Amino acid sequence: MTTLDQLRDVRRSRRVRATAVTLSLTGLALGLFVVTLLVGSFRLSLGEVFGSVTHLVDDPAVDFIVRDLRLPVAVSALCVGAALGASGTIFQQLLRNPLASPDFVGVSAGASVAAVAGIVLWGTTSLVTCFLALGGAIVGSLLMYVLAWRDGISGYRFILIGIGVAATFEGITGYLLTRATVFDAREAIHWLTGTVGRADDAQQYALAASLVVLLPLAVLLQRQLRLLELGDDTARGLGGRTELAKVGLISLAVLLIALATAVAGPIAFVALVAGPLAQRLLGPAAGGILPAALVGAALLLGADLVATQLLPVALPTGVVTGALGAPYLVWLLATANREGQGG
Amino acid sequence: MTKLAAQGLTLGYDDRVVVDRLDVEILEGKVTTVVGANACGKSTLLRGLARLLRPRSGVVLLDDRPLDDLSTLEVARVLGVLPQTPVAPDGITVGDLVGRGRHPHQGWFRRWTEEDEAAVADALDATGSQDLVGRPLRELSGGQRQRVWVAMALAQQTEVLLLDEPTTYLDLNHQVELLRLLRDLNARSGKTIVVVLHELNLAARFSDHMIAMSDGRIVAQGAPGDVVTAELVEEVFGLRSMVVPDPVAGTPLVVPL
Repeated sequence: MTTLDQLRDVRRSRRVRATAVTLSLTGLALGLFVVTLLVGSFRLSLGEVFGSVTHLVDDPAVDFIVRDLRLPVAVSALCVGAALGASGTIFQQLLRNPLASPDFVGVSAGASVAAVAGIVLWGTTSLVTCFLALGGAIVGSLLMYVLAWRDGISGYRFILIGIGVAATFEGITGYLLTRATVFDAREAIHWLTGTVGRADDAQQYALAASLVVLLPLAVLLQRQLRLLELGDDTARGLGGRTELAKVGLISLAVLLIALATAVAGPIAFVALVAGPLAQRLLGPAAGGILPAALVGAALLLGADLVATQLLPVALPTGVVTGALGAPYLVWLLATANREGQGG
Repeated sequence: MTKLAAQGLTLGYDDRVVVDRLDVEILEGKVTTVVGANACGKSTLLRGLARLLRPRSGVVLLDDRPLDDLSTLEVARVLGVLPQTPVAPDGITVGDLVGRGRHPHQGWFRRWTEEDEAAVADALDATGSQDLVGRPLRELSGGQRQRVWVAMALAQQTEVLLLDEPTTYLDLNHQVELLRLLRDLNARSGKTIVVVLHELNLAARFSDHMIAMSDGRIVAQGAPGDVVTAELVEEVFGLRSMVVPDPVAGTPLVVPL
């Protein structure tokens, strides 16, 4: 067999695998989306749900459950999960480190400080809190950029500074909570746990519309990401405009996580886990921002189903993703150290 | 004929100037090696020539055109570069990595073509890495891995190839093997090759043209027989030595005293 034939075989099998994985993940996310609409304390048939969602049949009782209660949760989980997954995998690939998830490095913590300050100090409404969180995430990431990014990206330096920035923000958040009235503190803590069932229609439309623009942009920039993975020098040698590509990719990732956090609060671990999971399915070094987004969506839909349906007491989604993600983090740290890589 | 040249090139990092107003010409179709002691500026010069480092002053000319007049993508179709310690994503396979060398020939929306496939196959064949296609890079030996990186640079199909100390982590056998490969590529396709090398004897053995640097300046350049002398070795490396003809190739051989 000639080299050319071998290459064709390898490439064909990779393409088949990528297509199969992407299709299956799409199916899984859509399946969970439908299940979210179907299950609950009040059982509905597939026909009733379909009729209500598509506005083909009008039945006030069914419409209330589907359009007002379940659809917002399902849409929000789908969009927030996809944004978290895409954002996380961009960070991780850009910094060449599985620990470089935006929820660790000060971005989510920045959103939390701003949101909690809003709730505690000014008693803001949920829409204002949402904008504050968006602003906080962007300020947090700008701070990271100034502190860690000027001299180019080095994985561990960025992560260590990120953990420092996050710790500072969390300290301020903690201080604010101690100053709060019991009612405000309760609301703030609820916000900090993160849940998909909170966003109102306007916020969801904004997030969904942003995703329609940002996700294709991310997929388009994937080519640049594949270059940057080889290091700045090699990327430049191959004709990449590295600084521009980095700024573009990082802005995109920050925007995605900021929007997701603004809508649902800081949902733990989905951004950290989605990318590596997609990579496992696709094969090594395959990249795959879209598959990571789909994994994120499926994870969050699944976590929300567990949180609201399977547990004896309904819990915020963030509690479930946290419980699932924490063991993964421990495993990641243990194995990364053993293999002596990640920097 | 001059393929790549620098005029009054000043390069540095932060507030430190490493290469000061340097003029150099790289001849077309030749293998040129750049030698010198540690921290003499040889790798910095290579990075400057490859537009990986922006000059403080001076200009780099590729085919008599200033690099600033060319887009980085245009440069990448003519000039390939292999950095000193290239990095690759975890678990990447050889075929995937070499394929990434095709980047400058692809557009934003263009899909992988038969031409790309052929270029990658040629690069793998030329470096003897054809049997490694599906293997992960991290499982390979140092020598195999370096050949694969060269293959990635070859897939770029450039007329000029710059390599920064490609033999650093290799044992003697693999050092010689890699330099033979570069000579071979030069002989077959007339590729202009510039290599920064640590090993003076290997540089003398395998290059057409040598550039010896010290303290950011060029101390001597020309054919290995003219450049490598006992005086130069003392000046550049601070080592007293005797230079005798290599019994196999007749090129200068440095024997420390």
